[in-house]
Amino acid sequence: MRKNKAMIFWFSLPAVLSLLIMFVYPVCRTVLMSFFRVESVTATVADWSFYGLGNYLKIFKSASFMTSMRNMLLIWFVGGIITLALAMLMAVVVTSGIRGKKFFRAVIYLPNIISAVALATMWIQYIFNYDYGMLNNIVQFFGGEKVKWLGTDLKFWSMTGSFIFGSVGYYMLIYISGIEGIPQDLYEAATIDGAGKVAQFTRITLPLLKGVIKTSITFWSINTTTFFLWTKMFSPIDTESSTIVPVIYLYDMVFGGKGITQRDAGAGAAVGVVLTLIIIAVYLVTEKLFKGNDLEY
Amino acid sequence: MKNEKKAYRAKINWHRELRLLPGYIIVLLWLAFTVVMLGWIIGASLSTPRDIYQGQIFQFSTGLHWENYATAWNVQNVSVFFGNSLLYSVISCVGVLAISAPAAYVLSRWKFTGGKALRIGLVIAMSVPVIMVIMPIYSLSVQWGLKGRVLLVILYILLRVPYTTIYLLDFFSTLSRAYEEAAYLDGCSAPKTFLKIMLPLVQPAIVTVTIFNFMSVWNEFFMALIFTSSESMAPVGVGLLNIINAMKQTGQMGGMFAAVIIVFLPTFLLYIFLSEKIISGVTGGGVKG
Repeated sequence: MRKNKAMIFWFSLPAVLSLLIMFVYPVCRTVLMSFFRVESVTATVADWSFYGLGNYLKIFKSASFMTSMRNMLLIWFVGGIITLALAMLMAVVVTSGIRGKKFFRAVIYLPNIISAVALATMWIQYIFNYDYGMLNNIVQFFGGEKVKWLGTDLKFWSMTGSFIFGSVGYYMLIYISGIEGIPQDLYEAATIDGAGKVAQFTRITLPLLKGVIKTSITFWSINTTTFFLWTKMFSPIDTESSTIVPVIYLYDMVFGGKGITQRDAGAGAAVGVVLTLIIIAVYLVTEKLFKGNDLEY
Repeated sequence: MKNEKKAYRAKINWHRELRLLPGYIIVLLWLAFTVVMLGWIIGASLSTPRDIYQGQIFQFSTGLHWENYATAWNVQNVSVFFGNSLLYSVISCVGVLAISAPAAYVLSRWKFTGGKALRIGLVIAMSVPVIMVIMPIYSLSVQWGLKGRVLLVILYILLRVPYTTIYLLDFFSTLSRAYEEAAYLDGCSAPKTFLKIMLPLVQPAIVTVTIFNFMSVWNEFFMALIFTSSESMAPVGVGLLNIINAMKQTGQMGGMFAAVIIVFLPTFLLYIFLSEKIISGVTGGGVKG
């Protein structure tokens, strides 16, 4: 086929420009900005003054940033284990040959389809409600005392719990596609050899899903470092230390929020860079941990 | 023979089903939770605050309060948010295709200088967190005097370009070059071949990727929060947050739940009709082990 240079140029130009305007230029500028003292986001480069690692020192000395990092790590680690384990459980159950497989798969994925704002509202206004909420009805049914799910003590875990509910379906789909790629005769052979369901799962399914698990951990890391909406829903007006996450800290810092006397876009950029470095680090570590022994089948 | 087969299919293997019982219990619990939650919200959207507080939403002692929906739609401005979201989603979906489809096509067909860099750049851009781009984008928009609706639509288009291009690229790659050879011999120009022959051939992929773009823009929240300066241009996500915050003063609970249902419906309906396509699309594109 003849190569049409003009066509290649004009056909790829819009995409190249999009990439440059939306991603390349902003990422470079954000990285650069994190080393400068920049007060307003809209300040021109001429108004920037070099600050070295000052912004990084500032955010790591800030108590609310450290709280936000702690919250984020808790969501990443505890939430991650629960979400991925639940997703794996659901994936195994759905592919185990039950009736209505497609229906159940669709139901579990449903929370990913609807607006997260609407989903969070359902949880906050119904499930966790103190007076008429579902959880307190269940607690009372079993003779317990009503619980303040949205009180300061439990708010973080309520938020994480509802976030997990909204996330499981996506990772379940990733695992299902992995499980369905495993040839059935492996299981048949294992059954003939007398291996039970549990042994089949730990000896066949898990090892063969290594690559898929790696992908899911990377996606989960990106998801939790950019965690924002759920905090905004659980603490809509004022930022609270129980639910603050780094992106909220960045948002308040750059676009203004309660308790922020002076805006600081440079520090905001530093937060962005730190989060990106965390994502890259997690990616590299999982690549290393799961490397080398990709099994063939 | 045919009857026999039918009878065999209808017979449930109870032994087998019993072994799967724990699995059934797990997914049924999940299903029950989801159904109760959605059912309650629908019930609450048709009730008065008094019914909700007394836990009697399904008795409808004062009738079905459909006026909650009217309140939400007219008084609480859901109609405005809904219209905005629809506008943003539809225009972005079309705009992103106009940028991505041609690029995906040439990337899949020819090796050219910078082609590989573009492809890698697009893949990396898919996992760049929004917080890394939001600040420079903000200052650029001020510099260029862009704001409001136009700005949001442009941003949504640019934001979806990497995913859309990579997704379509995979599909263009599977098409045989014989189509183009034949078109060339018939004297059809290359751009025309793309428009008239190749684009219609990837229509299923275009439909799938558009569904994803639509849902993504419809549910987008972060950029909308930052770039919508007034309520008149807010999409559903930001609008709903405003309604919920206002509800604490107005006590319009029924209206708020009605708003939740209205916001929830479009993507939910899309899902009911297209769930198979959506689910196979989630893991069809970028996700490989």
